[in-house]
Amino acid sequence: MSNSYMYSRLGLWLILVVFTAGIAQAQTITGTVTAKDNNDPIPGVNVSVKGTTIGTTTDVDGRYSIDLPPDGRTLVFSFIGFRTLEVDVPPGETTLDVQMEEDVLGLDEVVVTGLATSVKRTNLANAVGTISSKELVPAPAQTLERALSGKISGLSVSQNTGAPGGGINVNLRGTSTITGSTQPLYVVDGVIVDNTAIQSGLDLVTAATGAGSSTPQGQPTNRIADINPNDIESIEVLKGASAAAIYGSKATNGVVIITTKRGTRGRTSLNITQQVGFTRILHKIGTRRFTPETAEALVPGGAQLLQQNGQLDYEELLYGQTGLLNETTASLSGGDKDTRYFVSALAQTEEGIVKNTGYDKYSGRVNVEQRFGSRLKVNVSTQLVRSRSDRSITGNENQGATTLGFAYAFTPPFIDLRPGPDGKFPPGPAGSNPLHTIEVFKNREIVNRGIAAVNLTYNLYRSENQNLDFIAQGGGDFYSAEHKVVSPPELQFEQAKDLPGVSIAGETTSLSTNLNLNLVHFYGTPSNVTFTTTGGYQYESRNFNNVLVQAQGLVVTQENIDQSSSLNGFQTRLIQRERGVFFQEEVNIQEKYFVTAGFRADASSRIGDTSKFFFYPKAAASVRLTAFDFWKSEFFRELKLRAAFGRTGNLPQAQAKFTSLQAENIAGLGGVLVPTLAGNPDIEPEITQEIEVGLDATFWQDKATLEFTYYTQDITELILQNNLPPSSGFSNKFINAGDMTTQGIEVSLGLTPVRSSKVRWTTRVNFFKSWSEITRLDVDPFETGGFALSLGQFQIEEGKSPTTIVGLDEAGNKVAFGDENPDFQVGWVNDLTLGNFSLSFLWDWKQGGDVINLGLFLTDLGGISPDLDTPEGQARAAGVGGTGRYVEDGTYLKLREVSLTYNFSREQVRRWFNGQVQNLSLGVSGRNLLMFTDYSGYDPEVSQFGNIPIGRSVDVLPFPSARFVYFKLSLGF
Amino acid sequence: MNSFQHYIRTRWRASFRGIGAAVSVLMLVLFAGCDTLDVPDPNAPSPDAVSIQSLVSGVEGAMRADMNVYLQVTGIFGREAYYFEPADPRYTGELYTGPLDPGGFLLTRPWRSRYRTIRNATILLDRAAELEGAERAGVEGFAKAIIGYQLLLNLNYLDDNGIKIEFSEDVSTPFVGKQQAFNEIERYFNESLSALGNAGGAFSFDLTDEGFGNFNTPATFAQFVRGLQARVALYQEKWQAALDALAGSFVDADAPMELGVYHAYSTGSGDRLNPVFEVPTAPSVKLRAHPDVKTFAEPGDQRYLSKVLDRTDDPGFNPSPPAANGLVSPLVLTLAGSSTDPFPILRNEELLLIRAEANFRLGNMAAAEADVNAVRAAAGLAPVTLSPDNALDQILHERMYSLLVEGHRWIDLRRTGRLDTLPTDAVGTPPQPGKIFDKWPRPIDEIPEGG
Repeated sequence: MSNSYMYSRLGLWLILVVFTAGIAQAQTITGTVTAKDNNDPIPGVNVSVKGTTIGTTTDVDGRYSIDLPPDGRTLVFSFIGFRTLEVDVPPGETTLDVQMEEDVLGLDEVVVTGLATSVKRTNLANAVGTISSKELVPAPAQTLERALSGKISGLSVSQNTGAPGGGINVNLRGTSTITGSTQPLYVVDGVIVDNTAIQSGLDLVTAATGAGSSTPQGQPTNRIADINPNDIESIEVLKGASAAAIYGSKATNGVVIITTKRGTRGRTSLNITQQVGFTRILHKIGTRRFTPETAEALVPGGAQLLQQNGQLDYEELLYGQTGLLNETTASLSGGDKDTRYFVSALAQTEEGIVKNTGYDKYSGRVNVEQRFGSRLKVNVSTQLVRSRSDRSITGNENQGATTLGFAYAFTPPFIDLRPGPDGKFPPGPAGSNPLHTIEVFKNREIVNRGIAAVNLTYNLYRSENQNLDFIAQGGGDFYSAEHKVVSPPELQFEQAKDLPGVSIAGETTSLSTNLNLNLVHFYGTPSNVTFTTTGGYQYESRNFNNVLVQAQGLVVTQENIDQSSSLNGFQTRLIQRERGVFFQEEVNIQEKYFVTAGFRADASSRIGDTSKFFFYPKAAASVRLTAFDFWKSEFFRELKLRAAFGRTGNLPQAQAKFTSLQAENIAGLGGVLVPTLAGNPDIEPEITQEIEVGLDATFWQDKATLEFTYYTQDITELILQNNLPPSSGFSNKFINAGDMTTQGIEVSLGLTPVRSSKVRWTTRVNFFKSWSEITRLDVDPFETGGFALSLGQFQIEEGKSPTTIVGLDEAGNKVAFGDENPDFQVGWVNDLTLGNFSLSFLWDWKQGGDVINLGLFLTDLGGISPDLDTPEGQARAAGVGGTGRYVEDGTYLKLREVSLTYNFSREQVRRWFNGQVQNLSLGVSGRNLLMFTDYSGYDPEVSQFGNIPIGRSVDVLPFPSARFVYFKLSLGF
Repeated sequence: MNSFQHYIRTRWRASFRGIGAAVSVLMLVLFAGCDTLDVPDPNAPSPDAVSIQSLVSGVEGAMRADMNVYLQVTGIFGREAYYFEPADPRYTGELYTGPLDPGGFLLTRPWRSRYRTIRNATILLDRAAELEGAERAGVEGFAKAIIGYQLLLNLNYLDDNGIKIEFSEDVSTPFVGKQQAFNEIERYFNESLSALGNAGGAFSFDLTDEGFGNFNTPATFAQFVRGLQARVALYQEKWQAALDALAGSFVDADAPMELGVYHAYSTGSGDRLNPVFEVPTAPSVKLRAHPDVKTFAEPGDQRYLSKVLDRTDDPGFNPSPPAANGLVSPLVLTLAGSSTDPFPILRNEELLLIRAEANFRLGNMAAAEADVNAVRAAAGLAPVTLSPDNALDQILHERMYSLLVEGHRWIDLRRTGRLDTLPTDAVGTPPQPGKIFDKWPRPIDEIPEGG
């Protein structure tokens, strides 16, 4: 499509403003809309005349009034959460009362298809996952990502560590990059929100990055954690490239579109929910039972120590706290003809399973939608949040058992490290006393954040069959994150240093802004063909500044960085800008065919050539077989075939294009030195091109839905770090040097096997799997991730899966030992209503996916692994099996969420509280209650290296996972 | 498609020209209204933006990188030193038993750092092109001298295996042989000297006082380059060329032995520390003198007494800690008095001994004897009489103590064919005799895959 064509189309829209066509008036229809289940009136229902732009909404009592044009006789009633209803008005009739049925399977959901458009799911031509507010948090989730597990096929959620406050990987549709970003783009009410994982500087204490690996291992939280899940109305997950192409060069990992709540017209409500609970360690790895002989063999004098101290349970001493949980939420919402509002507050305080750890979050939100006359609508949403996490010190280290895990592995359980009568902690054999560490070590993160979004819709032109809107969307996301790590000088491992005592002060500020300007034109023909045309412009920017100061040689009792004998400073900034244009045409032909095509073209400051626009096209088509006359099946109510194509990009790392000179000072003269990383001024984004085909069906009298999708992604221009010959003066350089394919299958089956007025059971099974292969590699095959080949790494080689785990066999040969990519994953969501009881539960099953369990390696070295007295344990400790002895199957089955609620009947509640209270419910819920796995570590869901594309599955005794139990009281006024 | 045609017919024609253009203008305004996408690196300067001074200081500073590894390895290969590093068994394993790892850091780190310094110097040369006259000549004279010196250190490491002289990101660039490498090094020194001749009376940049205090003008810096030329001539057995070069250098039998050019160090931010300093009386010390250093020391040799602390009688000191892998030495090296002491690049003492050797080779025995005895006198030792039979032994003996663990002995014994006179030393349990290596293999990252 040529530019001149596009501009003349844009011109068309503007000229439409000058038309003022009157709406023909023929007949007025009035009526009431009620819910089928309980006969309650439904306010806010959209009532429109089919094939036209004429519409209204029901008032607080569910009443509406609408004018029928001469040629329109069909009214369409639609409302979120209810089946859409089409009713022909009998000639001469002036009143029409209707009953709407709850849409438990989401058959009539509306799904976004562009930056400012949406379409009914029945017409959708690509796979988009949705989660409603009801499904999102049946049990409280510390952070949003935890609440997504298992709910959408193709979306895989895996925590990096059990530490309070997050650190969670969200992956859509498998591996798509080797060095790039892996996390989806999050868009909240039209604002692109920052999801950076900021390193706390913990590595400066643990020296985890010192030897073997240069990947930061500070186990940071990622910032999407700041969103309050209770504020969310719905989440839409654009999984594939055809859906996400409109976000261009940032969309390869998919897009998660979050819409927060608005009030309902005419219905004012105040809801207060109080939840209290507790948390305990989910699974202990256990400790070897010592005999005097084995104790003596491990430590000279061990037999006597065993007799004297017995065997202590260090896992209980370290991770055995029963943490108290509290979550208070309140929301106020309502609205009238012109205004809708939603105000909410959250106070969440959670203790961890390790003493002095925990997570607090305080959040407030104000959302307002205001109409000005019939043409202008303004939507404003704002959130302020403050969160604090205390995460202690866990995982890998190279400094002398600084972390709890290392200290656990190297402290024989018959040595007593509890404080003596004088309160002094005895020194530990590993170089630290972890009981002392948890008392005084501080690893704190405090975030203050504000997110504001404005959405302005102005109707430029409206007629019976046409509509032209100007939509401006924009906003900003600002936060400051403060990190404080204090390792007091009295700690044993600090005493061993030249300058004992470390205090790290980190300060990060981040501002992300974006602006979208769109024109959306709708045109419907009398023959029921609709055209929706969208064109727009986007500008996005990020400004990120991280300052870290490390003080060493702390004055005893002091934490301030100036109370020290040595200071080091670090600073990293990121300034990023993108600009794009977007165009899309959607055609709906008589609800039979749905065709969409469009593109985004964008340029980014992170690309070598910032003036170059990269073109991301998309196209999709669907056919609703059931809309044709030849389709006679009573069994299938809906059957749709769909196919889609799309292209997205993944930006290179921010430093890839720069040759950033480093400081090289000498005796007071300031010098600069070329870096080891050579800049690549020609670096381009990675390109993902995806084709997906699928089938959507509704059958068994609307009691069952099936979604099947197969996709294949060709990822080209993979960005890799190429080793340069040292004689160039550089060590490596990012280059576009490989191709990969990723394929996958997603199946989602929804059922309502039981549905009566008293009993209802809705269930959904989400099955998905993906597999990848490197198809071209312009650099030599290389290992990435992990620590060393002998401890397991990941092999990048043409013809192989990029997640292949390699290591050394006993003879020292390089051998493949597994693959971290799971065979498949299944989520099973259930929602059961029995009279006034409602029960929901979610099982999350991951089959396969290997994990390198270096925690077991460490406890073997420390001589405390539980099975060391068995032949298998002894063989393993002796090295039988090479690296493979620590590569374990990471299969798990988890009871992710359970919630049981009793809703008192509305009449009863009104009677008890003299009509002051409308709703009252009591409940009990849990998260991560059960885990079934053969994995011998704390949790097969683990990543020592945070959210990296390849090499996540490395376990170095992280913060153990916990289970959470809550009791709930909810009041609605 | 009927409906679409209907749409086109009814509405499309209604558009009038000019609106399209107006929208185009609106879009352009929007584009221009936002900030440029061409964002410079927010974290670090780019090579074309920094000052000449910063690049010069960066070059001077980068010369120091990984010199600790270079000195440890050449000290071990030349049996002057041991390095007992608990964190790395290769210092008392691979370096005695082989095979030498073409990808190991003991080879690649010094090798890489020398070329990194060269890269900085080539950027300096690129930037010098913006300058004119004496200022430009001064920068070129400095940069080319350093490039030549850095190449020499890598050639010392690989010897017959050669070096790369193209500084390219293309891994297939060839290695050049030893003679061609010497020619290239000489070319850099010659070009440096001719540039320095046009560089006027002073450099437009500063070098550190601790490092180049007496050699910070074009004329005095040229004396340093001439001294390096003499070293390169000596290595090639170009005896007269060595004497010619020395004539223009700062060699002076009456000047202090320490006169010369050094690496400077400080505790300032972003600076480096002396590569060989350890607290000599600490419970554990990694860098030690080889027992031969004590064995061959003449009584009263001030060089031995000032550079070695014998802790044989220190009961708290372990002469053979676990990291020693069976090697034994109670001799602690005290080459540096503190972590900020400068470390020598080229000293008068070496130049005197080069002059002595060149004169001996040319048959000027009296001149050779005078220089040897000047060095011995400075060490508090009695003069010796040189004869054709003992002269080389004597000169190498003086070089061993004068230049102890400054990176010379291994190269001296190699160029004189005497490596086989070194003790093999035995490592491991049970102890196995070690090997004497004469060069490093070519680094694996310099060779194309399968090449």
